[in-house]
Amino acid sequence: MSPLAITTRDTATGPVLHVAGDLDHGTADELRALAAALPLRAGQRLVLDLSRLRFCDSSGLTALLAARNLALAARADIALAAVPVRTLRTIRLVGLDRVFALYPDTAAALTA
Amino acid sequence: MMCGTGHEPEPGGAGGTDAVFAALLEDSAEELYETAPCGYLSTLMDGTIAKVNATLLGWLGLTRDEVVGRMRFADLLTVGGRLYHETHFAPLLRMQGSVGGIALELRTGEGGRLPVLVSSAVKRGGDGEPLLIRTTVFDARDRHAYEQELLRRRQEAEQARRQAETDRGRLQEALAVLQRSLLPAALPTVPGLEAVAHYHTASPDQLGGDFYDLFPLGGGRWAFFLGDVCGKGPKAAAVTSLTRYTLHAAALHDPDPVAVLTTLNTVLLERYSAGDPRFCTAVVGTLEAEPGGDRFTVRLASGGHPPALVLRANGDCDFLPTPGGVLVGVLPDPTFTPAATTLSPGDALLLYTDGLTEARIGPERALYGEEALQEFAAGYAGASPRALVEALTGLLDGFGDGLDDDTALLALGVPAPGAAADGPR
Repeated sequence: MSPLAITTRDTATGPVLHVAGDLDHGTADELRALAAALPLRAGQRLVLDLSRLRFCDSSGLTALLAARNLALAARADIALAAVPVRTLRTIRLVGLDRVFALYPDTAAALTA
Repeated sequence: MMCGTGHEPEPGGAGGTDAVFAALLEDSAEELYETAPCGYLSTLMDGTIAKVNATLLGWLGLTRDEVVGRMRFADLLTVGGRLYHETHFAPLLRMQGSVGGIALELRTGEGGRLPVLVSSAVKRGGDGEPLLIRTTVFDARDRHAYEQELLRRRQEAEQARRQAETDRGRLQEALAVLQRSLLPAALPTVPGLEAVAHYHTASPDQLGGDFYDLFPLGGGRWAFFLGDVCGKGPKAAAVTSLTRYTLHAAALHDPDPVAVLTTLNTVLLERYSAGDPRFCTAVVGTLEAEPGGDRFTVRLASGGHPPALVLRANGDCDFLPTPGGVLVGVLPDPTFTPAATTLSPGDALLLYTDGLTEARIGPERALYGEEALQEFAAGYAGASPRALVEALTGLLDGFGDGLDDDTALLALGVPAPGAAADGPR
Protein backbone atom coordinates (compact mmCIF):
# COMPACT_ATOMS: atom_id res chain seq x y z
CA MET A 1 0.00 0.00 0.00
CA SER A 2 1.21 3.47 -0.78
CA PRO A 3 -0.87 6.60 -0.27
CA LEU A 4 -2.26 8.59 -3.15
CA ALA A 5 -0.49 11.86 -3.98
CA ILE A 6 -1.89 14.17 -6.62
CA THR A 7 -0.16 17.33 -7.80
CA THR A 8 -1.80 19.83 -10.11
CA ARG A 9 -0.06 21.90 -12.79
CA ASP A 10 -1.63 24.48 -15.08
CA THR A 11 -0.64 24.57 -18.72
CA ALA A 12 -1.75 26.66 -21.67
CA THR A 13 -4.11 23.90 -22.80
CA GLY A 14 -5.51 23.00 -19.39
CA PRO A 15 -4.66 21.38 -16.06
CA VAL A 16 -2.34 18.39 -15.69
CA LEU A 17 -2.86 16.09 -12.71
CA HIS A 18 0.08 13.90 -11.69
CA VAL A 19 -1.44 10.90 -9.94
CA ALA A 20 1.05 8.90 -7.84
CA GLY A 21 0.54 5.91 -5.54
CA ASP A 22 -2.51 3.67 -5.16
CA LEU A 23 -5.82 4.63 -6.72
CA ASP A 24 -8.26 2.25 -5.01
CA HIS A 25 -11.41 1.96 -2.91
CA GLY A 26 -9.76 3.91 -0.08
CA THR A 27 -8.32 6.77 -2.14
CA ALA A 28 -10.44 7.10 -5.31
CA ASP A 29 -12.64 9.80 -3.74
CA GLU A 30 -9.58 12.08 -3.42
CA LEU A 31 -9.15 12.15 -7.19
CA ARG A 32 -12.87 12.63 -7.71
CA ALA A 33 -13.00 15.55 -5.27
CA LEU A 34 -9.91 17.15 -6.76
CA ALA A 35 -11.18 16.79 -10.32
CA ALA A 36 -14.53 18.29 -9.30
CA ALA A 37 -12.76 21.38 -7.94
CA LEU A 38 -10.68 22.01 -11.10
CA PRO A 39 -11.41 25.24 -12.97
CA LEU A 40 -11.92 23.52 -16.34
CA ARG A 41 -12.99 25.72 -19.24
CA ALA A 42 -14.71 24.69 -22.45
CA GLY A 43 -12.21 23.62 -25.10
CA GLN A 44 -9.45 22.80 -22.57
CA ARG A 45 -7.91 19.38 -22.11
CA LEU A 46 -7.52 17.74 -18.71
CA VAL A 47 -4.46 15.47 -18.71
CA LEU A 48 -4.07 12.77 -16.05
CA ASP A 49 -0.40 11.80 -15.90
CA LEU A 50 -0.35 8.26 -14.49
CA SER A 51 3.41 7.62 -14.83
CA ARG A 52 3.72 7.16 -11.07
CA LEU A 53 0.45 5.34 -10.53
CA ARG A 54 1.37 2.19 -8.62
CA PHE A 55 -1.99 0.43 -8.47
CA CYS A 56 -5.48 1.03 -9.86
CA ASP A 57 -8.52 -1.14 -9.12
CA SER A 58 -12.11 -0.86 -10.35
CA SER A 59 -12.80 1.96 -7.85
CA GLY A 60 -9.81 3.75 -9.42
CA LEU A 61 -11.17 3.24 -12.93
CA THR A 62 -14.49 4.61 -11.71
CA ALA A 63 -12.70 7.74 -10.46
CA LEU A 64 -11.00 8.16 -13.86
CA LEU A 65 -14.41 7.88 -15.53
CA ALA A 66 -15.90 10.34 -13.01
CA ALA A 67 -13.15 12.81 -14.01
CA ARG A 68 -14.06 12.19 -17.65
CA ASN A 69 -17.73 12.96 -16.92
CA LEU A 70 -16.70 16.22 -15.22
CA ALA A 71 -14.52 17.19 -18.19
CA LEU A 72 -17.28 16.41 -20.67
CA ALA A 73 -19.80 18.36 -18.57
CA ALA A 74 -17.47 21.38 -18.83
CA ARG A 75 -17.25 20.76 -22.60
CA ALA A 76 -13.57 20.02 -22.09
CA ASP A 77 -11.54 17.01 -23.21
CA ILE A 78 -9.65 14.41 -21.16
CA ALA A 79 -6.55 12.33 -21.86
CA LEU A 80 -4.52 9.75 -19.96
CA ALA A 81 -0.74 9.96 -20.22
CA ALA A 82 1.94 7.39 -19.39
CA VAL A 83 -0.49 4.68 -18.24
CA PRO A 84 1.47 1.89 -16.47
CA VAL A 85 1.41 -1.48 -18.28
CA ARG A 86 -0.72 -3.22 -15.69
CA THR A 87 -3.40 -0.52 -15.64
CA LEU A 88 -3.28 -0.28 -19.44
CA ARG A 89 -4.06 -3.98 -19.58
CA THR A 90 -7.14 -3.49 -17.38
CA ILE A 91 -8.20 -0.43 -19.39
CA ARG A 92 -8.05 -2.47 -22.61
CA LEU A 93 -9.83 -5.42 -20.98
CA VAL A 94 -12.87 -3.33 -20.07
CA GLY A 95 -12.88 -1.44 -23.37
CA LEU A 96 -11.85 1.93 -21.93
CA ASP A 97 -9.09 2.31 -24.53
CA ARG A 98 -11.93 3.42 -26.80
CA VAL A 99 -13.19 5.88 -24.19
CA PHE A 100 -10.00 7.63 -23.14
CA ALA A 101 -7.41 9.21 -25.43
CA LEU A 102 -4.14 7.53 -24.37
CA TYR A 103 -0.67 9.07 -24.80
CA PRO A 104 2.80 7.73 -24.00
CA ASP A 105 3.61 10.83 -21.91
CA THR A 106 2.24 14.21 -20.84
CA ALA A 107 4.20 16.13 -23.49
CA ALA A 108 2.51 14.08 -26.20
CA ALA A 109 -0.89 14.57 -24.54
CA LEU A 110 -0.37 18.35 -24.42
CA THR A 111 0.70 18.74 -28.04
CA ALA A 112 -1.78 16.32 -29.55
CA MET B 1 16.84 42.30 43.38
CA MET B 2 20.61 42.37 43.37
CA CYS B 3 22.36 40.76 46.32
CA GLY B 4 24.80 42.94 48.21
CA THR B 5 28.43 42.04 48.00
CA GLY B 6 28.92 42.54 51.75
CA HIS B 7 28.50 39.86 54.42
CA GLU B 8 26.17 41.55 56.87
CA PRO B 9 24.14 38.94 58.76
CA GLU B 10 20.49 39.09 57.73
CA PRO B 11 17.85 39.76 60.40
CA GLY B 12 16.79 36.51 62.03
CA GLY B 13 19.81 34.79 60.47
CA ALA B 14 21.15 31.28 61.02
CA GLY B 15 20.70 31.31 64.78
CA GLY B 16 17.02 32.40 64.57
CA THR B 17 16.09 29.74 61.94
CA ASP B 18 17.52 26.95 64.09
CA ALA B 19 15.24 28.03 66.91
CA VAL B 20 12.16 27.83 64.67
CA PHE B 21 13.16 24.38 63.40
CA ALA B 22 13.78 23.16 66.92
CA ALA B 23 10.27 24.20 67.91
CA LEU B 24 8.86 22.35 64.92
CA LEU B 25 11.03 19.25 65.30
CA GLU B 26 9.54 16.09 66.76
CA ASP B 27 11.09 16.20 70.16
CA SER B 28 8.68 13.74 71.73
CA ALA B 29 8.78 10.13 70.53
CA GLU B 30 5.69 9.43 72.62
CA GLU B 31 3.72 12.23 70.98
CA LEU B 32 4.86 11.07 67.54
CA TYR B 33 3.78 7.49 68.35
CA GLU B 34 0.35 8.52 69.54
CA THR B 35 -0.65 10.96 66.85
CA ALA B 36 1.29 9.73 63.81
CA PRO B 37 -0.80 9.65 60.61
CA CYS B 38 -0.86 5.85 60.79
CA GLY B 39 -2.02 3.30 63.32
CA TYR B 40 0.54 1.53 65.54
CA LEU B 41 -0.02 -1.49 67.68
CA SER B 42 2.04 -4.13 69.39
CA THR B 43 0.68 -7.55 70.29
CA LEU B 44 1.91 -10.58 72.14
CA MET B 45 2.69 -13.60 70.04
CA ASP B 46 -0.87 -14.88 70.59
CA GLY B 47 -2.25 -11.65 69.13
CA THR B 48 -3.31 -10.02 72.41
CA ILE B 49 -2.95 -6.27 72.03
CA ALA B 50 -0.34 -4.84 74.40
CA LYS B 51 -0.03 -1.32 73.08
CA VAL B 52 -1.98 0.78 70.58
CA ASN B 53 -1.76 4.41 69.46
CA ALA B 54 -4.45 7.08 69.60
CA THR B 55 -4.73 7.33 65.81
CA LEU B 56 -5.79 3.70 65.50
CA LEU B 57 -8.14 3.94 68.51
CA GLY B 58 -9.75 6.94 66.80
CA TRP B 59 -10.33 4.96 63.61
CA LEU B 60 -11.78 2.05 65.57
CA GLY B 61 -13.94 4.23 67.79
CA LEU B 62 -12.66 2.36 70.87
CA THR B 63 -10.96 3.41 74.09
CA ARG B 64 -7.59 2.14 75.23
CA ASP B 65 -9.18 0.23 78.10
CA GLU B 66 -11.52 -1.62 75.77
CA VAL B 67 -8.62 -2.80 73.66
CA VAL B 68 -5.39 -3.32 75.56
CA GLY B 69 -5.16 -6.74 77.17
CA ARG B 70 -8.75 -7.50 76.11
CA MET B 71 -8.71 -7.84 72.34
CA ARG B 72 -6.54 -9.59 69.83
CA PHE B 73 -5.50 -7.99 66.56
CA ALA B 74 -7.82 -10.31 64.65
CA ASP B 75 -10.77 -8.97 66.70
CA LEU B 76 -10.29 -5.58 65.07
CA LEU B 77 -10.86 -7.06 61.61
CA THR B 78 -14.02 -7.77 59.62
CA VAL B 79 -15.04 -11.42 59.25
CA GLY B 80 -13.36 -11.62 55.86
CA GLY B 81 -10.27 -9.87 57.18
CA ARG B 82 -10.11 -12.25 60.14
CA LEU B 83 -10.28 -15.24 57.83
CA TYR B 84 -7.51 -13.87 55.66
CA HIS B 85 -5.44 -13.04 58.73
CA GLU B 86 -5.88 -16.57 60.00
CA THR B 87 -5.09 -18.35 56.73
CA HIS B 88 -2.46 -16.10 55.18
CA PHE B 89 -1.25 -13.19 57.24
CA ALA B 90 -0.36 -14.96 60.49
CA PRO B 91 1.27 -18.03 58.89
CA LEU B 92 3.34 -15.80 56.58
CA LEU B 93 4.42 -13.67 59.52
CA ARG B 94 5.46 -16.75 61.54
CA MET B 95 7.40 -18.05 58.58
CA GLN B 96 9.13 -14.86 57.42
CA GLY B 97 9.24 -12.77 60.57
CA SER B 98 7.62 -9.87 58.70
CA VAL B 99 4.90 -9.11 56.18
CA GLY B 100 4.24 -5.86 54.36
CA GLY B 101 1.42 -4.02 52.66
CA ILE B 102 -1.34 -6.57 53.18
CA ALA B 103 -4.82 -5.20 52.41
CA LEU B 104 -7.31 -5.91 55.22
CA GLU B 105 -10.49 -4.33 56.55
CA LEU B 106 -10.98 -2.97 60.06
CA ARG B 107 -14.34 -2.80 61.79
CA THR B 108 -14.93 0.82 62.76
CA GLY B 109 -16.93 2.20 65.67
CA GLU B 110 -20.05 2.99 63.59
CA GLY B 111 -20.22 -0.59 62.27
CA GLY B 112 -18.47 0.46 59.08
CA ARG B 113 -15.40 -0.89 57.40
CA LEU B 114 -12.09 0.80 56.93
CA PRO B 115 -9.81 -0.56 54.20
CA VAL B 116 -6.23 -0.57 55.48
CA LEU B 117 -2.78 -1.71 54.48
CA VAL B 118 -1.07 -3.63 57.28
CA SER B 119 2.62 -4.36 57.83
CA SER B 120 3.93 -6.39 60.74
CA ALA B 121 7.32 -7.44 62.07
CA VAL B 122 8.24 -9.83 64.86
CA LYS B 123 10.52 -8.42 67.57
CA ARG B 124 12.88 -11.00 68.99
CA GLY B 125 14.73 -11.16 72.29
CA GLY B 126 18.49 -11.50 72.69
CA ASP B 127 18.19 -15.28 72.41
CA GLY B 128 16.20 -15.01 69.16
CA GLU B 129 12.93 -15.96 70.88
CA PRO B 130 9.98 -14.08 69.34
CA LEU B 131 8.68 -11.58 71.88
CA LEU B 132 6.00 -9.54 70.26
CA ILE B 133 4.59 -8.33 66.96
CA ARG B 134 4.81 -4.72 65.87
CA THR B 135 2.21 -3.60 63.40
CA THR B 136 1.60 -0.44 61.36
CA VAL B 137 -1.81 0.24 59.84
CA PHE B 138 -2.29 2.70 56.95
CA ASP B 139 -5.62 4.17 55.97
CA ALA B 140 -6.20 2.80 52.46
CA ARG B 141 -9.54 4.45 51.71
CA ASP B 142 -8.11 6.61 48.91
CA ARG B 143 -6.22 3.72 47.45
CA HIS B 144 -9.26 1.50 47.81
CA ALA B 145 -11.42 4.06 46.00
CA TYR B 146 -8.77 4.27 43.30
CA GLU B 147 -8.72 0.51 42.89
CA GLN B 148 -12.51 0.39 42.80
CA GLU B 149 -12.43 3.03 40.08
CA LEU B 150 -9.84 1.04 38.12
CA LEU B 151 -11.95 -2.06 38.46
CA ARG B 152 -15.08 -0.19 37.38
CA ARG B 153 -13.27 1.23 34.33
CA ARG B 154 -11.98 -2.21 33.47
CA GLN B 155 -15.47 -3.64 33.70
CA GLU B 156 -16.77 -0.82 31.51
CA ALA B 157 -14.03 -1.45 28.94
CA GLU B 158 -14.83 -5.15 29.00
CA GLN B 159 -18.51 -4.38 28.55
CA ALA B 160 -17.73 -2.04 25.63
CA ARG B 161 -15.53 -4.70 24.06
CA ARG B 162 -18.30 -7.30 24.35
CA GLN B 163 -20.80 -4.83 22.89
CA ALA B 164 -18.45 -4.05 19.99
CA GLU B 165 -18.03 -7.76 19.32
CA THR B 166 -21.79 -8.27 19.35
CA ASP B 167 -22.28 -5.31 17.01
CA ARG B 168 -19.59 -6.59 14.71
CA GLY B 169 -21.19 -10.03 14.63
CA ARG B 170 -24.57 -8.47 13.88
CA LEU B 171 -23.08 -6.34 11.09
CA GLN B 172 -21.34 -9.34 9.54
CA GLU B 173 -24.58 -11.30 9.70
CA ALA B 174 -26.45 -8.43 8.01
CA LEU B 175 -23.74 -8.19 5.35
CA ALA B 176 -23.87 -11.94 4.75
CA VAL B 177 -27.68 -11.80 4.35
CA LEU B 178 -27.39 -8.87 1.93
CA GLN B 179 -24.62 -10.62 0.03
CA ARG B 180 -26.78 -13.73 -0.36
CA SER B 181 -29.65 -11.55 -1.59
CA LEU B 182 -27.38 -10.49 -4.46
CA LEU B 183 -26.98 -14.08 -5.61
CA PRO B 184 -29.53 -16.76 -6.48
CA ALA B 185 -30.22 -19.10 -3.54
CA ALA B 186 -29.87 -22.07 -5.90
CA LEU B 187 -29.54 -22.52 -9.64
CA PRO B 188 -32.61 -23.93 -11.39
CA THR B 189 -32.58 -27.39 -12.92
CA VAL B 190 -32.09 -27.12 -16.68
CA PRO B 191 -32.99 -30.41 -18.40
CA GLY B 192 -29.99 -31.79 -20.24
CA LEU B 193 -27.59 -29.26 -18.73
CA GLU B 194 -25.42 -29.17 -15.65
CA ALA B 195 -24.97 -25.73 -14.07
CA VAL B 196 -22.60 -25.10 -11.16
CA ALA B 197 -21.71 -21.78 -9.52
CA HIS B 198 -19.26 -20.71 -6.85
CA TYR B 199 -18.83 -17.39 -5.05
CA HIS B 200 -15.62 -16.60 -3.22
CA THR B 201 -15.91 -13.74 -0.72
CA ALA B 202 -12.59 -11.96 -0.22
CA SER B 203 -13.62 -10.12 2.97
CA PRO B 204 -16.54 -10.79 5.34
CA ASP B 205 -16.59 -7.05 6.12
CA GLN B 206 -17.10 -5.90 2.56
CA LEU B 207 -20.04 -6.54 0.30
CA GLY B 208 -18.68 -7.76 -2.99
CA GLY B 209 -19.83 -6.56 -6.35
CA ASP B 210 -19.82 -9.83 -8.29
CA PHE B 211 -23.10 -11.35 -9.45
CA TYR B 212 -24.52 -14.16 -11.57
CA ASP B 213 -27.83 -15.83 -12.31
CA LEU B 214 -29.49 -18.48 -14.48
CA PHE B 215 -33.24 -18.42 -15.09
CA PRO B 216 -35.89 -19.70 -17.54
CA LEU B 217 -37.16 -17.56 -20.43
CA GLY B 218 -39.87 -20.07 -21.42
CA GLY B 219 -40.10 -22.10 -24.59
CA GLY B 220 -37.04 -24.19 -23.73
CA ARG B 221 -34.79 -21.14 -23.49
CA TRP B 222 -32.74 -19.98 -20.56
CA ALA B 223 -30.85 -16.82 -19.78
CA PHE B 224 -27.68 -16.41 -17.76
CA PHE B 225 -25.42 -13.60 -16.73
CA LEU B 226 -22.29 -13.03 -14.68
CA GLY B 227 -20.57 -9.75 -13.94
CA ASP B 228 -18.68 -7.45 -11.64
CA VAL B 229 -19.69 -4.01 -10.38
CA CYS B 230 -16.79 -1.52 -10.13
CA GLY B 231 -15.89 -0.63 -6.57
CA LYS B 232 -16.96 -2.33 -3.37
CA GLY B 233 -18.94 -1.70 -0.21
CA PRO B 234 -22.63 -0.83 0.28
CA LYS B 235 -22.80 1.62 -2.66
CA ALA B 236 -21.44 -1.00 -5.06
CA ALA B 237 -23.84 -3.57 -3.58
CA ALA B 238 -26.77 -1.26 -4.35
CA VAL B 239 -25.57 -1.14 -7.98
CA THR B 240 -25.23 -4.94 -7.98
CA SER B 241 -28.87 -5.26 -6.88
CA LEU B 242 -30.09 -2.80 -9.53
CA THR B 243 -27.98 -4.54 -12.19
CA ARG B 244 -29.28 -7.99 -11.35
CA TYR B 245 -32.94 -7.05 -11.52
CA THR B 246 -32.44 -4.94 -14.62
CA LEU B 247 -30.70 -7.79 -16.46
CA HIS B 248 -33.38 -10.25 -15.37
CA ALA B 249 -36.27 -8.02 -16.48
CA ALA B 250 -34.53 -6.99 -19.71
CA ALA B 251 -33.85 -10.61 -20.69
CA LEU B 252 -37.51 -11.52 -20.16
CA HIS B 253 -38.51 -8.58 -22.37
CA ASP B 254 -35.98 -9.19 -25.17
CA PRO B 255 -33.46 -12.01 -24.63
CA ASP B 256 -31.02 -10.80 -27.31
CA PRO B 257 -27.79 -10.44 -25.25
CA VAL B 258 -26.78 -7.15 -26.91
CA ALA B 259 -30.25 -5.71 -26.25
CA VAL B 260 -30.05 -6.82 -22.59
CA LEU B 261 -26.66 -5.13 -22.08
CA THR B 262 -27.86 -1.99 -23.87
CA THR B 263 -30.84 -1.75 -21.51
CA LEU B 264 -28.55 -2.11 -18.50
CA ASN B 265 -26.24 0.55 -19.96
CA THR B 266 -29.16 2.97 -20.30
CA VAL B 267 -30.34 2.29 -16.74
CA LEU B 268 -26.87 2.77 -15.19
CA LEU B 269 -26.24 5.97 -17.18
CA GLU B 270 -29.61 7.37 -16.21
CA ARG B 271 -29.43 6.40 -12.58
CA TYR B 272 -25.81 7.22 -11.82
CA SER B 273 -24.42 9.68 -14.37
CA ALA B 274 -24.78 12.73 -12.13
CA GLY B 275 -21.87 13.09 -9.71
CA ASP B 276 -21.40 9.48 -8.66
CA PRO B 277 -21.09 7.35 -11.81
CA ARG B 278 -21.26 3.57 -11.44
CA PHE B 279 -20.19 0.90 -13.88
CA CYS B 280 -20.04 -2.83 -14.27
CA THR B 281 -18.69 -5.49 -16.55
CA ALA B 282 -21.00 -8.32 -17.55
CA VAL B 283 -21.44 -11.33 -19.78
CA VAL B 284 -25.07 -11.97 -20.69
CA GLY B 285 -26.35 -14.88 -22.71
CA THR B 286 -29.04 -17.36 -23.65
CA LEU B 287 -29.11 -21.14 -23.85
CA GLU B 288 -31.41 -22.91 -26.26
CA ALA B 289 -31.74 -26.67 -26.55
CA GLU B 290 -31.52 -27.75 -30.17
CA PRO B 291 -34.65 -29.57 -31.27
CA GLY B 292 -34.52 -33.29 -30.65
CA GLY B 293 -30.85 -33.14 -29.82
CA ASP B 294 -28.64 -33.03 -26.77
CA ARG B 295 -26.88 -29.86 -27.86
CA PHE B 296 -27.36 -26.29 -26.66
CA THR B 297 -26.88 -23.14 -28.68
CA VAL B 298 -25.23 -20.42 -26.62
CA ARG B 299 -25.52 -16.76 -27.61
CA LEU B 300 -23.79 -14.20 -25.48
CA ALA B 301 -22.47 -10.66 -25.40
CA SER B 302 -19.88 -8.96 -23.23
CA GLY B 303 -19.61 -5.48 -21.84
CA GLY B 304 -15.99 -5.05 -20.83
CA HIS B 305 -15.91 -8.49 -19.22
CA PRO B 306 -13.07 -11.04 -19.55
CA PRO B 307 -13.89 -13.58 -22.28
CA ALA B 308 -15.67 -16.84 -21.45
CA LEU B 309 -13.81 -20.12 -21.79
CA VAL B 310 -15.21 -23.01 -23.81
CA LEU B 311 -14.02 -26.48 -22.78
CA ARG B 312 -14.61 -29.19 -25.39
CA ALA B 313 -15.13 -32.90 -24.87
CA ASN B 314 -12.10 -33.54 -27.09
CA GLY B 315 -9.80 -31.65 -24.73
CA ASP B 316 -9.78 -28.28 -26.51
CA CYS B 317 -10.03 -25.21 -24.31
CA ASP B 318 -10.39 -21.79 -25.91
CA PHE B 319 -11.65 -18.32 -25.12
CA LEU B 320 -14.84 -17.25 -26.84
CA PRO B 321 -13.70 -13.83 -28.05
CA THR B 322 -15.97 -10.85 -27.44
CA PRO B 323 -13.63 -7.98 -28.38
CA GLY B 324 -14.71 -4.37 -28.35
CA GLY B 325 -17.33 -4.65 -25.64
CA VAL B 326 -17.03 -1.70 -23.31
CA LEU B 327 -17.69 -1.33 -19.58
CA VAL B 328 -21.46 -0.97 -19.03
CA GLY B 329 -22.69 2.47 -17.98
CA VAL B 330 -19.93 4.61 -19.56
CA LEU B 331 -21.02 5.55 -23.07
CA PRO B 332 -24.44 6.71 -24.25
CA ASP B 333 -24.09 4.63 -27.43
CA PRO B 334 -21.95 1.62 -26.54
CA THR B 335 -21.05 -1.33 -28.74
CA PHE B 336 -21.42 -4.74 -27.16
CA THR B 337 -19.95 -7.65 -29.08
CA PRO B 338 -22.08 -10.73 -29.64
CA ALA B 339 -20.67 -14.24 -29.94
CA ALA B 340 -22.17 -17.70 -30.28
CA THR B 341 -21.18 -21.32 -29.86
CA THR B 342 -22.73 -24.73 -29.51
CA LEU B 343 -22.30 -26.97 -26.49
CA SER B 344 -22.30 -30.67 -27.35
CA PRO B 345 -22.18 -33.49 -24.81
CA GLY B 346 -18.99 -33.19 -22.77
CA ASP B 347 -18.62 -29.46 -23.61
CA ALA B 348 -18.79 -26.70 -21.01
CA LEU B 349 -18.81 -22.91 -20.87
CA LEU B 350 -16.96 -21.21 -18.00
CA LEU B 351 -17.74 -17.66 -16.91
CA TYR B 352 -15.60 -15.99 -14.24
CA THR B 353 -14.90 -12.58 -12.77
CA ASP B 354 -11.44 -11.04 -12.80
CA GLY B 355 -10.84 -11.79 -9.10
CA LEU B 356 -9.56 -15.09 -10.50
CA THR B 357 -7.35 -13.80 -13.32
CA GLU B 358 -6.14 -10.73 -11.42
CA ALA B 359 -5.02 -12.80 -8.41
CA ARG B 360 -1.38 -12.35 -7.40
CA ILE B 361 0.64 -15.51 -7.00
CA GLY B 362 4.00 -16.52 -5.65
CA PRO B 363 6.62 -14.46 -3.82
CA GLU B 364 6.83 -12.04 -6.78
CA ARG B 365 3.06 -11.53 -6.58
CA ALA B 366 2.87 -12.13 -10.31
CA LEU B 367 -0.45 -11.80 -12.10
CA TYR B 368 -2.21 -15.17 -12.45
CA GLY B 369 -3.67 -14.09 -15.80
CA GLU B 370 -5.86 -15.50 -18.58
CA GLU B 371 -3.20 -17.81 -20.03
CA ALA B 372 -2.66 -19.63 -16.75
CA LEU B 373 -6.41 -19.97 -16.36
CA GLN B 374 -6.74 -21.41 -19.88
CA GLU B 375 -3.96 -23.89 -19.18
CA PHE B 376 -5.50 -24.89 -15.85
CA ALA B 377 -9.01 -25.26 -17.30
CA ALA B 378 -7.71 -27.33 -20.23
CA GLY B 379 -6.95 -30.04 -17.68
CA TYR B 380 -10.70 -30.27 -17.06
CA ALA B 381 -11.89 -30.19 -20.68
CA GLY B 382 -14.38 -33.04 -21.00
CA ALA B 383 -14.87 -33.21 -17.23
CA SER B 384 -18.18 -32.25 -15.62
CA PRO B 385 -18.89 -28.58 -14.74
CA ARG B 386 -18.91 -29.66 -11.09
CA ALA B 387 -15.41 -31.13 -11.32
CA LEU B 388 -14.24 -27.96 -13.07
CA VAL B 389 -15.73 -25.62 -10.46
CA GLU B 390 -14.43 -27.75 -7.59
CA ALA B 391 -10.93 -27.64 -9.10
CA LEU B 392 -11.16 -23.85 -9.54
CA THR B 393 -12.43 -23.46 -5.95
CA GLY B 394 -9.33 -25.33 -4.80
CA LEU B 395 -7.18 -23.08 -6.98
CA LEU B 396 -8.78 -19.94 -5.46
CA ASP B 397 -8.26 -21.26 -1.92
CA GLY B 398 -4.62 -21.91 -2.80
CA PHE B 399 -4.11 -18.25 -3.77
CA GLY B 400 -4.50 -17.30 -0.08
CA ASP B 401 -4.05 -13.56 0.44
CA GLY B 402 -3.02 -13.13 -3.20
CA LEU B 403 -6.74 -13.20 -3.88
CA ASP B 404 -8.00 -9.85 -2.59
CA ASP B 405 -11.13 -9.51 -4.71
CA ASP B 406 -14.43 -11.37 -4.74
CA THR B 407 -14.66 -14.02 -7.43
CA ALA B 408 -17.72 -15.55 -9.08
CA LEU B 409 -17.66 -18.70 -11.20
CA LEU B 410 -20.46 -20.12 -13.34
CA ALA B 411 -19.98 -23.29 -15.39
CA LEU B 412 -22.64 -24.53 -17.81
CA GLY B 413 -22.11 -27.89 -19.48
CA VAL B 414 -23.83 -30.69 -21.33
CA PRO B 415 -23.11 -33.97 -19.54
CA ALA B 416 -21.06 -36.41 -21.57
CA PRO B 417 -22.86 -39.60 -22.58
CA GLY B 418 -22.67 -42.13 -19.77
CA ALA B 419 -21.57 -39.51 -17.25
CA ALA B 420 -23.31 -39.62 -13.90
CA ALA B 421 -26.29 -37.27 -14.05
CA ASP B 422 -25.15 -34.46 -11.81
CA GLY B 423 -27.98 -32.19 -10.74
CA PRO B 424 -27.32 -28.48 -10.47
CA ARG B 425 -25.84 -27.31 -7.24
